[in-house]
Amino acid sequence: MSAIAAVIADDEPLLRAQLRSRLARVWPELAVVHEMENGRDVDKVLDEHEPQLFFLDIHMPGVNGLEAARAIGDRAHVVFVTAFDQYAVEAFEQGAIDYVLKPFNEERLALTCARLKDRIGERPPGLDELVERLAARIAPQAPGAEHLRWIKASVGSNVRLIPIEEVLFFQSDEKYTRVVTCESEVLIRKPIRELLEELDPGRFWQIHRATIVNVDHIASVRRGLKDQAEISLRDHPETLVVSRAFTHRFKQM
Amino acid sequence: MAAVDPGSILAGGVPVGGNLKSYAYLFEGLTVQRVLVVTAVCAAATASVVWLFLNTYRDLLVSALCVGYASMVLFTMAGNIRQKRVPREVMQVGAIVIGSFVGTVVAGLVKGRDLRQMFAERLFGVLITMGLGIGFGCVVVAAYILREKHARDQALHHAAESERHQLAKNLLEAKLALMQAQIEPHFLFNTLANVQHLVENNPPEASRMLESLIQYLRAAMPQMREAYTNLGRELDMARAFLDIHKVRMGPRLAYAIDVPEPLKGRSFPPMMLITLVENAVKHGIDPCCEAGSITIRAAEDEGKLRVSVEDTGEGIKPKQGGGVGLANIRERLKALYGVSAKLVIEERAPHGVIASIEVPTGSAA
Repeated sequence: MSAIAAVIADDEPLLRAQLRSRLARVWPELAVVHEMENGRDVDKVLDEHEPQLFFLDIHMPGVNGLEAARAIGDRAHVVFVTAFDQYAVEAFEQGAIDYVLKPFNEERLALTCARLKDRIGERPPGLDELVERLAARIAPQAPGAEHLRWIKASVGSNVRLIPIEEVLFFQSDEKYTRVVTCESEVLIRKPIRELLEELDPGRFWQIHRATIVNVDHIASVRRGLKDQAEISLRDHPETLVVSRAFTHRFKQM
Repeated sequence: MAAVDPGSILAGGVPVGGNLKSYAYLFEGLTVQRVLVVTAVCAAATASVVWLFLNTYRDLLVSALCVGYASMVLFTMAGNIRQKRVPREVMQVGAIVIGSFVGTVVAGLVKGRDLRQMFAERLFGVLITMGLGIGFGCVVVAAYILREKHARDQALHHAAESERHQLAKNLLEAKLALMQAQIEPHFLFNTLANVQHLVENNPPEASRMLESLIQYLRAAMPQMREAYTNLGRELDMARAFLDIHKVRMGPRLAYAIDVPEPLKGRSFPPMMLITLVENAVKHGIDPCCEAGSITIRAAEDEGKLRVSVEDTGEGIKPKQGGGVGLANIRERLKALYGVSAKLVIEERAPHGVIASIEVPTGSAA
């Protein structure tokens, strides 16, 4: 029986070396033909080295283990390597997929290798569904991930990054937009109209043609002149006018 | 601070509908109670001056009530009207003067008198009625304004009190958040896997890495965290953490600590520097495949201690999550120092991030 070709992908050099030496002990016939720092260039590696087996660390910079597994598809067998992922381990157990935990336990590694030896002649199973499920559990798309989280503003010669939750309100001021926080005030060029499209609508409400307020920072809302209302903020002296077109948002539910 | 539901604050809703209704706010505060008070004051005032007049009590009371009600309505409107040019108190006194005149005229009409005759022949009586109206009105208004001021002071006092409570609560929450901050299992197991390899292949290096891990854990274990700490100790913890990552990431990570010796004794809140360093590794250097470096600096200037962590990593994308760590630091700084401390995140040119914490020196952390 010819040697089985394997590839190890892990961003930590010592852990690649560790896995390589452990594999040499428990599975001497296995030839580690290539090492990767991340999951990039899977196609090239498959072409050049024709490996039958990949050991993929799940967390790697650039292209992670799950993305690499997706790229490999059924062209090779995949064993996931992970330090600690409750969800991942649960998913592995359910899906009868091979995985190894770091730090390595030699008996556990030997068991995984024994299973792989039996299976290596077969066509690799399609892992698509399982990989999708894992990806959803390990890196769930945080709610509001598609919304703006940082405001970049020039302050002197520096570019200040302001976390969106710090912003009390945005207000247009001729060419610029004022960004007001508890501590400071900066000007940005992005107009209110564009901000509206990118901000989390659950937290940032337009209250006026020229104003967007962060509802988390509202202290109170008062009735005002005509059909308007007036907003007072926590930790800030300015009051904001809610124009007639937007007062409906503040009526009792 | 508890989130406030804006909908519930505006009880009764924003006034809607016709134009008349939208001026209703002018009469806000014109309560039954106010009408009763004015009536009582008029009755008492009439009783106290009736001996000056030839008129009957009833006749005088009608005049007094007309003056009183007219002044009351105008006074209320003067208090509610939205304008900024004239001070509210001046408007209100003016309202009393005009109210007294209007009331006297109305009283004349009510009693069926000829107004021209009234002003021509009984001018003296009219002036006395108005004068008394203005005099009593001003006394009542002064009492009212004093009471309002007292209520305002009271409210301010309450607000200050509740702010103090809020600060105490924030401080407690900040302490809790500090206690709950976890050591990432991922970090721990990966580090141990490295140690496992080094034990077999490079025992001296393994022992150094274990030492770093122990030092880090000593500072990071919630049970072992100290309430008070200084910059030196926080730097030791950061160094231990960076040493561990230097072994793990190999040539991808370099770091430097540039902090003048005397500053290491300054008090500094715990677990903040390490959060910035963790972010620099996790969100700065780790995601970019090229090598990068982290520099920790500290400087003191005009009673402020500024500690910064600079990385040459990827930088922050506008839609990337900010992480709980930074919000936690901000909350804790606010609870510990109020407005005199801050956390500033800046972009580093050409790429990377500079995060800095500024705290007043000398105060307890």
